[in-house]
Amino acid sequence: MSVIKIDRPGQSVLMMGNEAIARGAIEAGVDFSSAYPGTPSSEILESLARVAEHFGLYAEWSVNEMVSLEAAAAASLTGLRAIVAMKQNGVNVCSDFLMTVNLSGTKGGLVIVACDDPSAISSPNEQDSRNFAKFADLPLLEPATFNEAREMTKYAFELSERLGLPCIIRSVTRISHSRGNVELGELPERKRSPSFEGVSIAGAFVALQHAALHQKLEQAREDFENSKFNWYVGPEGAKFIIVTSGTGWFYSREAVAALGLDSEVGILKIGTTWPLPEKFIIDHLKPANELLIVEEVDDFLEQNIKVLLAEQAKTLGPIEVYGAKSGHLPACGEMNQDKVAKALATIKGVEYSGRDEAYAQRARELVQPYLSPRIPTFCAGCPHRASMWAIKSALKLDGRDGFVTGDIGCYSMGAGPAGYFQLKTIHCMGSGIGLATGFGKLGQFDFNRPVVAVCGDSTFYHAAIPGLINARFNNSNVLMVVLDNAGTAMTGFQPHPGSGIDALGEPAPVVDIEGICRAIGVPVKVRDPFELDEAIEELCDLLQEDGPKVMVFRRRCHLAETKERPQKKVFVDPDKCIGDECGCARFCSRVFNCPGIIWDPTTKKARIDEIVCTGCGVCAYLCPQGAIVIEGN
Amino acid sequence: MEAGKGSTDLEKEVLNAGLCTSCGACVGICPYIKVVKDRVAVIEPCGITDGKCYDFCPRTLTDISELDRRIFGQERSDSSLGPYISIEMAQAKDSKTRNRGQYGGVVSALTAYAMSKGEIGATVLTKPFNESLMPTSVLVEDSSQVLSCAGSNYIASATLARLNEAMKQQTVSLGIVGMPCQILALRKMQASKHENGSKEVKLAIGLFCTWALSYKSFHEFLKGKINPSQIKRLDIPPPPANKLVVVTEAGTLEFPLDEIREFVKPTCGICFDMTSEFADLSVGMVEGVDDWNTLIVRTPEGKMIIDKAKEDGIIETKPLPEANLSHLREASLLKKKRALDEIVKRTGDKNNLLYLRLSDAELRKLR
Repeated sequence: MSVIKIDRPGQSVLMMGNEAIARGAIEAGVDFSSAYPGTPSSEILESLARVAEHFGLYAEWSVNEMVSLEAAAAASLTGLRAIVAMKQNGVNVCSDFLMTVNLSGTKGGLVIVACDDPSAISSPNEQDSRNFAKFADLPLLEPATFNEAREMTKYAFELSERLGLPCIIRSVTRISHSRGNVELGELPERKRSPSFEGVSIAGAFVALQHAALHQKLEQAREDFENSKFNWYVGPEGAKFIIVTSGTGWFYSREAVAALGLDSEVGILKIGTTWPLPEKFIIDHLKPANELLIVEEVDDFLEQNIKVLLAEQAKTLGPIEVYGAKSGHLPACGEMNQDKVAKALATIKGVEYSGRDEAYAQRARELVQPYLSPRIPTFCAGCPHRASMWAIKSALKLDGRDGFVTGDIGCYSMGAGPAGYFQLKTIHCMGSGIGLATGFGKLGQFDFNRPVVAVCGDSTFYHAAIPGLINARFNNSNVLMVVLDNAGTAMTGFQPHPGSGIDALGEPAPVVDIEGICRAIGVPVKVRDPFELDEAIEELCDLLQEDGPKVMVFRRRCHLAETKERPQKKVFVDPDKCIGDECGCARFCSRVFNCPGIIWDPTTKKARIDEIVCTGCGVCAYLCPQGAIVIEGN
Repeated sequence: MEAGKGSTDLEKEVLNAGLCTSCGACVGICPYIKVVKDRVAVIEPCGITDGKCYDFCPRTLTDISELDRRIFGQERSDSSLGPYISIEMAQAKDSKTRNRGQYGGVVSALTAYAMSKGEIGATVLTKPFNESLMPTSVLVEDSSQVLSCAGSNYIASATLARLNEAMKQQTVSLGIVGMPCQILALRKMQASKHENGSKEVKLAIGLFCTWALSYKSFHEFLKGKINPSQIKRLDIPPPPANKLVVVTEAGTLEFPLDEIREFVKPTCGICFDMTSEFADLSVGMVEGVDDWNTLIVRTPEGKMIIDKAKEDGIIETKPLPEANLSHLREASLLKKKRALDEIVKRTGDKNNLLYLRLSDAELRKLR
């Protein structure tokens, strides 16, 4: 049973941060939920979809974050409550709509959850989405604990409805993906009924709408002055105060305790970080003459606090501010207790050594022999490995120094050894084909290297179609390879318009990729990438054609496949394996490099790692000696 | 033969230098070297420093005298045509075979005959057109399929790649029909210290060849004019016609040879062999005679097949007119001289003959 469904108000339940957000939405009586998957945000919609039927709410995986926000906004405009979740890059995708729906305003509570990925553990960029709240003049909330994630979400709906504005919640990986105690609230009974009268249309009145937006934001500020999400802990009249938000709260508390500074350092925790509750902050900073600002990624809070200090210089007097600008804390990467403690120790002149380096070194040495050296790689059986080999081979055979523009997905690893270093660019979703259409038009400047754009199936629907249309419209010489593994694989195999099922697991129509290509007027071929020789030859043929063309490499993610079907057993016939000799030179374990294949240095033969192997069988196809055997074949 | 070189050297000295003949000898041995159409590439270096690919290649060091001794038991006395037992005119007796074949149908007739007699179990042949301008090499295991491979295509197919593949599985003795560079590569395979199955090749029929066209540029050239997938036959009639005839389903087109020559593979300019000098049997056209072939019998194995085929009424032969023979010699010698000039032009050193190693005596005769 899903934890977010439990109807026992007051009970404390262990939840993932994203589940707490989903629970908060349920407690607010959310009607409509939508998202495009993206780490670390995906579990919000997944959790809601799981209980959608139970609570009678709607949940969808949208084709991209822009559509997702627009769909949620539609529900809001009828008076329903709606939530939309996305990772940081998704905020950029939906920002065009965001920057106008703030003006038009909304009706039912509309909550946008932006989950940032500091250190870009699963992202192509590192970004602080809080800036969007300021940019779009929208209220911003930052949960610091798991229970707060629930409470804030519930509150965000109420605030949004009161102001007639979308409200942004900014989470980060360590909130979204960690687990902690969440105190369950009441489950609502009320059911809203939708109605729609239209919205104020942008045009001659935009400046007036903008002014009205600023007024709404002032209302939010007033609301925030008495918010339970802002508090101070520490000694009365502390001269040194840490001002923090989000994950910084726990790190700061821990650092202060670790350094034994509880009696002299106070912590001012702000949960409502835009617009700032100015009076609340000024009141608490009056005794202070030094501040350390602790936050994750940009110096968002720091800069806004500094403006406030400048405005209040007469009241507050000179205050020294430490943080990113002073160099005490980084404005990039994940924050942690150690970084905060080091900064605090430096400023306060206190002795601190986070972790004994000698101890850490000893620990590393002790563990090292048990760890096999690993690089980021495709899973055993991943069709992308074969696709990348096919692309590499075709470009080599083509002989014109062709290259690949990459995109966002599992296949991004094609930039590294897993994909034979084929990808030469990786930016945002859809940028592979977008860049390729440009590269493909540089012939008049004597740049004639063939360009191959790769994109996943989910990325195709999400952002690649306009690029392909552009390639067709402007007749760009580009070969687009759609790596269709039948799902949004990297984020956990969520369904998409090609999957045939929706977010609720119900059957859904399939939007045909090659049909779209044909309708655009682009020749398209479909091929199983495991049929490598044919795949290579077809790519070579396509590269010879002028204008845009598409190859769909279609094979389902093998991890998804093995969850549903028993895998075939694969083994190496040691009598046939020639190992290091001319004619092979350890192709399977050294070059093709599937993690399911091991080189046995004692027997000097390849071996299949039965634990890792998923039985896809592509190595049997590739083995020049026919030494790899699939049981039953 | 030179030792201690591998695919990286092959890539540098042959592929990147534009010397590759697309014979396919280096393809199908390992997963690292691939061919698409007539383009060969090393996809990834294998790290082997003494590789079969380099050893087999007809454009790596090739000692002509040593090959002569190994195949024919002695060095050549005829500098223009290489070692041979006899030179005659021949034609297939079966008119259907003659009609399907390019000239006298001798290659098809002999191949089918050798298979039906069990001299060879299967043959690597090349289908000239298979709904594409690009020829496809196939392993024919039934003599009735031989005729589907009759006819000429002036684009090189990686025939030996198909042979390499066949040798991995095949347990029967094999035949092959190939261009001079392919037959040379086959002989290098047979002479190699590296173990391979090429000793099972019992009958090598070589074709006459003056040059081959590069698929890419020729296809590009034809594309605007005809549908290359509709081509049924290509022919370069004997001089003074000086044209390429393209027969398609939609009609026949003719192109002046001078227009076509720019599509000749650069490696053909350094080729030393017009008449497949290392084959068991070499077959080509006879100038001025449409339905007969020139047949050069070079080895005792070749002679045995010819004798039997004549006896069984498969082919008939007659003497090649002296004028034709001397024309053939002239043409072959001219190709050798041009090749030597071109090689020296490329290396800039009259002692550096790239892949060729010729005895001083041979070299004197040619210069």
